[in-house]
Amino acid sequence: MTSSLVIGRRFAEWCSIAFMLVLVALVFEQIHDVLGPAGMAEGGPYDNAAAYPRGVALVLLGLVALQVIVQFVARRPENEDGLRLHQLTRPAVVIALFGLYLALLGVLGFHLASAPMLFAIMVACGSRQWWQMIVFSLAISFGMAWFFESQLDVVLPGGIFNLNIPW
Amino acid sequence: MFDMLLQGAGLVASLSTLALVGAGLIIGLLVGALPGLGPLMGIILLLPYAITFPPVQAMGFLIAIYVGGSCGGAISAILLRIPGTPLAAATLFDGYPMAQNGRAADAIGIAISASALGGAFGGLILILFSPSLAAFAAGFGPPEYALLAITGLTAIAAVSDQSMLKGLIAGTAGLLLATAGTDEFTAAERFTFGLFELSDGFNIVAIVVGLFAISEMSNLLTGDDLLERPNLAIARPGFRTVMLVLTRWPNLLRSSTIGACVGALPGAGGVISSFTAYAVAKTFAKSEERYGEGAEGGIVASESANNATAGGALVPTLALGIPGDAATAVLIGVLLILGIFPGPTLFAQHSDIVGGIFLVYMLANIALFVVGILMTPLFVYVLRLRKVVLIPTVLLMCAIGTYAVGSSVFDLWVMFAFGLVGLVLRAGGYPLAPMVIGVILGPLLENNVRRTLLLSHDGLRIFVERPVSATLLFINVALLLCVAFFTLRRLFAERQSALVEEKA
Repeated sequence: MTSSLVIGRRFAEWCSIAFMLVLVALVFEQIHDVLGPAGMAEGGPYDNAAAYPRGVALVLLGLVALQVIVQFVARRPENEDGLRLHQLTRPAVVIALFGLYLALLGVLGFHLASAPMLFAIMVACGSRQWWQMIVFSLAISFGMAWFFESQLDVVLPGGIFNLNIPW
Repeated sequence: MFDMLLQGAGLVASLSTLALVGAGLIIGLLVGALPGLGPLMGIILLLPYAITFPPVQAMGFLIAIYVGGSCGGAISAILLRIPGTPLAAATLFDGYPMAQNGRAADAIGIAISASALGGAFGGLILILFSPSLAAFAAGFGPPEYALLAITGLTAIAAVSDQSMLKGLIAGTAGLLLATAGTDEFTAAERFTFGLFELSDGFNIVAIVVGLFAISEMSNLLTGDDLLERPNLAIARPGFRTVMLVLTRWPNLLRSSTIGACVGALPGAGGVISSFTAYAVAKTFAKSEERYGEGAEGGIVASESANNATAGGALVPTLALGIPGDAATAVLIGVLLILGIFPGPTLFAQHSDIVGGIFLVYMLANIALFVVGILMTPLFVYVLRLRKVVLIPTVLLMCAIGTYAVGSSVFDLWVMFAFGLVGLVLRAGGYPLAPMVIGVILGPLLENNVRRTLLLSHDGLRIFVERPVSATLLFINVALLLCVAFFTLRRLFAERQSALVEEKA
């Protein structure tokens, strides 16, 4: 049953508005709790570090209010475009895997975390050619590590095992 | 101008610069050809590599990706009926029918030749007009700069292909994001939430990679063709295709002019220019030229226009520090990372770098013709790459590239967070380019607004008392009225069509 649920444009529009409102709220909260007590929220244009962000936040609030009105006034056809829930499963899994990779990057280091991440994402994408996937994951992760470490002198995260290859 | 080019020649005339321009072109053509990537993505992904070079080499590499990427989309549009980038959408109308008629090689050859010639025309516009614009802007004070930054933002929102109001919201949100970090006037830390990593503000690379690359990859993942390998025949275009383009010189000249002029307007990118040029070419076409059924003139119009747009977009980018589109916004970011500030001061203080950038742009377009024609079989071969391989590779490049800029794991989380933000905004129909441009223009706007207020002792009349700033203010008001008018018109049209549907 859940696979027929459609995540439409309108839902995403409200999520976007929520993000903008959170942004505005954070600005006012910081001005009230941090910049105000530090004496940075008043005075002339030189001293007042809060005036410009406050002004921009107010403009954003006004524009978002207009957008809310537009969304209420706008009529949309019943069969509006949207993605079915099952279509979002794969992107959600891949994003979760990518988030997990970023979390593990500092712990395991680039070399231990990257190849499994590539492999896992390919599995999530539906590939089942195991040997090809293993070779590809190792080749890409080590290839990129070689390029960035030996050619660009970037020290990639070594993790708790301090794994860095002296190319 | 000639002095500038002469000084620049010294910086360009090296084997490494030529190799970087060549490499940039090949990468650009590849990312342009692969559906889902494109010149912006190419620039973003290779940015960490580019910033290890001196400014002219770095810009040469990235501009070549920009030039190649603007052309590469035509290859997949012609062969697969899928434009590799939206820039090549108009090329599809005639390119694909030509390929169906067994003339795929000719169609690709015409696309590459027209792109190179159109791009070179855009380069001439860049060389001729940006020094004059920079000289004019050299007399600007803080009020003019503040209003110019607002004009850049409103213009970009006004030509957003989605809702203009949403474009303005995204741009304003970008301005707000740019306030995080240390205030330049008081050295006070703002919106850092006690995080040391945010004391310099958000890393622009992390924002751009997150907003565009992560959200684009997620978008690709919703498709059902991840494991499919397109079955394509290798096409080998020849150098003679340039003659097919040159015989249509009025179309070429007209479309390139449209491309360069549209590109010079902040926000109006290659998609607008290629469709405009195509529509104009169709209007001027002879009756025997059947546009939409494989007319060579259609490819000439769209491809010469979208590559000329790149040259036009670099005019306000270099002369004023106001990006013409998202790709040039990232190029401004690169210059800033390298310690170079675009705008009139760049022309006054670093004329050699400006001359070098002019030359690498022209060089990239000349080389595009040769590299594009010779290496088309390689690009066709790469088009067979399956998305199941492309997506994880790009994600790893996003992570490693963002990390490489500042060796910071924190930046990776910023990238990830902006990836999620980009996903939501994209799904909600918000254009992402204005947000990036807002982040780039934010410090310019804030500094000049506060300087203006210092100059005027806190009064706002200064904006209308100076002729140039008053003109810019008028333009801004006109643009905002346009946004309001078109938003209301769209709203009215939507209501009408919904009512008609309900009645039916």
